[in-house]
Amino acid sequence: MAEPLLSVRNLRVEIATRRGTLLAVDDASFDIAEGEVLGVVGESGAGKSITGGAIIGLLEPPLRHVGGEIRLAGRRIDDLDAEAMRRLRGRHIGAIFQDPLTSLNPLMTVGRQLVQTMIAHLDLSPREARARAAQLLAEVGLPAAQERLDSYPHELSGGMRQRVVLALAFCCEPQLIIADEPTTALDVSVQAQVIEVLRRMCRERATAVMLITHDMGVIAEIADHIAVMYAGRIIEIGRAEAILRAPAHPYTRGLMACIPSMHRRYRDLPQIEGSMPRLDAIPSGCAFHPRCPSRLPRCDRERPVLAPAGATQSACWLTAACDQMQDIVAARHA
Amino acid sequence: MSLQATIQPGAPRWWEGDLPHDFVRSPVALVAAASTLLIVAVAMGAGLIAPYDSNDPASANVIDARLPPGSSGMTGHYYLLGTDPQGRDMLSAILFGTRMSLMVGASSVLLAALIGIVLGLVCGYFRGLLDAIVMRIADVQLGFPAILIALLIDGITRTVVDRATHDRLAIPVLVVAIAASFWVQYARTVRGLVLVERGKEYVLAAMVTGVSPLRIIASHIRPNVMGSVLVIGTINLALAILTEATLSFLGVGVPPTQPSLGSLVRIGNEFLFSGDWWISICPGAMLVALCLSVNLLGDWLRDALNPRLSSG
Amino acid sequence: MLDLGADILCVQGLTKRFAVRRPWVMQAISRQSRPMVHAVEDVSLVIDRGTTFALVGESGCGKSTIARCIAGILTPTAGTMTFMGADIMARRSRRDPRRRHLQMIFQDPYASLNPRWRVGRIIAEPIVTHRLITGRGRIEARTAELLMLVGLVPQDARKYPHQFSGGQRQRISIARALASEPAFLICDEPTSALDVSVQAQILNLMRGLQRQLGLSYLLISHNLAVVAHMADRVGVMYLGRLVEWGAAQDVLERPQHPYTRMLLDAVPDVGTRRERRQPFKGEVPSPIQPPSGCAFHPRCPLAEARCARERPHPVAVGAGWVACHAVKKS
Repeated sequence: MAEPLLSVRNLRVEIATRRGTLLAVDDASFDIAEGEVLGVVGESGAGKSITGGAIIGLLEPPLRHVGGEIRLAGRRIDDLDAEAMRRLRGRHIGAIFQDPLTSLNPLMTVGRQLVQTMIAHLDLSPREARARAAQLLAEVGLPAAQERLDSYPHELSGGMRQRVVLALAFCCEPQLIIADEPTTALDVSVQAQVIEVLRRMCRERATAVMLITHDMGVIAEIADHIAVMYAGRIIEIGRAEAILRAPAHPYTRGLMACIPSMHRRYRDLPQIEGSMPRLDAIPSGCAFHPRCPSRLPRCDRERPVLAPAGATQSACWLTAACDQMQDIVAARHA
Repeated sequence: MSLQATIQPGAPRWWEGDLPHDFVRSPVALVAAASTLLIVAVAMGAGLIAPYDSNDPASANVIDARLPPGSSGMTGHYYLLGTDPQGRDMLSAILFGTRMSLMVGASSVLLAALIGIVLGLVCGYFRGLLDAIVMRIADVQLGFPAILIALLIDGITRTVVDRATHDRLAIPVLVVAIAASFWVQYARTVRGLVLVERGKEYVLAAMVTGVSPLRIIASHIRPNVMGSVLVIGTINLALAILTEATLSFLGVGVPPTQPSLGSLVRIGNEFLFSGDWWISICPGAMLVALCLSVNLLGDWLRDALNPRLSSG
Repeated sequence: MLDLGADILCVQGLTKRFAVRRPWVMQAISRQSRPMVHAVEDVSLVIDRGTTFALVGESGCGKSTIARCIAGILTPTAGTMTFMGADIMARRSRRDPRRRHLQMIFQDPYASLNPRWRVGRIIAEPIVTHRLITGRGRIEARTAELLMLVGLVPQDARKYPHQFSGGQRQRISIARALASEPAFLICDEPTSALDVSVQAQILNLMRGLQRQLGLSYLLISHNLAVVAHMADRVGVMYLGRLVEWGAAQDVLERPQHPYTRMLLDAVPDVGTRRERRQPFKGEVPSPIQPPSGCAFHPRCPLAEARCARERPHPVAVGAGWVACHAVKKS
């Protein structure tokens, strides 16, 4: 099996607050292979944006990366200094954020931002960079790309701005892109267009994507693998079809069931009681146990780890074969 | 999704928030607060603490005039900070003077705040013609220095009323004059905050419920904009005290029978170069101490409240 | 005199235009008339008692503006609105006692509650304003009742909004809206700011309350799945105009208008995996200079020459109405 492009092992991120240290990401591990799209889903507060921030090295205090390894193409990147990380960003890892308005510098034309980024990371002359910028804008579907190079961000609509952000992310041909809620702030019709562009460009360049979102519909469109996060932990991970068709973990099942769909009506939506725990009040054992309809006695004492459960890996005492789980736990303590 | 929401959604109550926590950990804030409190306590208790009642002409002994600090006069009294040209004890004069400065300063700040907040609330909520007029007046007024406005008001009063009435009204007129130069800051800040709050959904909900506009302004909007007023007020207090001191120094402030720190500096000004330094320097030092403490406290308050405001 | 007819709300020809704010000097210099934002153009709808009518559309289509006009926050430029038989267009009608039967809940659970007030006071405000109950003890009892109705506990009345999560705050907003015993609730994107699992709870709560109290809802949403779940009738808006409306099942399963079709096609649904979709062309034009004739014609795959000249009038198709030249009367 080929080595994965991005490998994250036991990632831990802490938040320092006046009232003590809280754990925002607790022991997260996953891989992304070349050209693959990993969708990281979860509700607000689950820690998905912070995970993305840790990988790209954009964690600001009070957030602190305190444990685990992050490897890109075999090389460790979590222990690089600021300068090395800066060179890595943009060239090897691209980023797309939620708000296109604040992702672009309002004082620089679109073309200038693209050209500057490319000159900083690639060995191009200004003329070559400009030509490539125009090409990129055309590729993301911006009409009249050549003229658009001299537009300022505020002259473009929300959808067009997000396409420019896409072009910026791809301009240095990175191997990995972290996309944090790229379509949440857009209208439905524009959302579809932007997802389409993202999918096409990733396919053509074999770029890996870590897509962070709370919108399951978007994930269903584009993801190859899905990781479900809850209270800072990854509680289920597996191939997209498996998670969408036959999720194993009770939280994932509850989540999928409570999303309204166009095709169901006249019945109350199944709901999960309660809400995600605050970071300063995470339950013992399995973080989901107070809300779980299939709770077992051991769930409030022992914290489950990811173990095979049907077609996916799930951190749940119910779904894992007990002996398999115990083997894994024993191996880790050894 | 905001990080704050995960840890503690919304703004915490002030006593459980960061402010008291920052306060006890900041040496500047503690010293400034202690010093301010000390000066205020001492000044307000001037009637009890001061060795002599400096406003009482009988306590002034011309024989003991212009004695240096630490000397005993011919009358046998001990003068810790010396005496002024009329034989008044400097220490008592400073204590009563500080009280006067504080009272005038605080009153004018309160009056300015009252005018500014009311106008800010009304203009920000109702907009329209009233807002346009008041804001244009405010803009024009900002073009004038505070001293000039105060001088203007004082000058007009002097010409309009006779001398005796003017002496009686001197302090209220002074308070009004200083307040008139400071209200704009409050009005503008409050108006800006009201414009923001007005669009928020809890105000819209009250409108839909049918609550009257005056009630919305008073019970919904006002509590949410008062925080910033506190910061302005603290910083303004030092400025108001200095403005009053300047006016009194120029001779158009408090009447000579009830001197403030500024008038004391003025009295001592003539004698500065003849060697009787204490008559000016001592009140001056007190003025500096007072304004510095208040200013530092205000600065700390502004900085402490700022990150919370911007991250909220 | 309360009108107990079948319609609880009847809106005719509602239009709302905003003047674009420009410095008055510039306005005086340029001879052109002030540019207007055509937020809502000639919208008519009827809501039956006890039902849910949903307005869908993308941002800028005017659905929130309509909600605010009906609620009395904005004054319409033209049209008539009748609520429970009473005319609610005029400004003075805002003091009409029947107004208390019309309440609204908003999108942002963090901004819709006054952070300085305790929850009990927030909920009791409509009761106090309309003097429905007097006496502190009785008001507190009623507040406790309302809290339990929305799934909270009476002790929550002592707390402040910041001590609650987004979903709980939205419940408090609902309790406040119910305090004046309304017959009609305008819900402006009530669950858009909430997580999916919390959204399910709130939607179930709203449906339960509708059954229990006989409420009518005007639901504003851009989320078609939520609308499919909640609405009896649906109206689709584009650039301030109502382009199609009818029974929810008809509009969402057999859409007639090209815009409705494309909108439904664009919704990413968990059930549809990677199906080829009809791509949307272009983006929503600016409401300051809407296209002539039919507003959708620049992006419409069925556009003809006529569409750029004439605004289509709504025609009845089955049990619904469509405003499109390409759709024939049935």
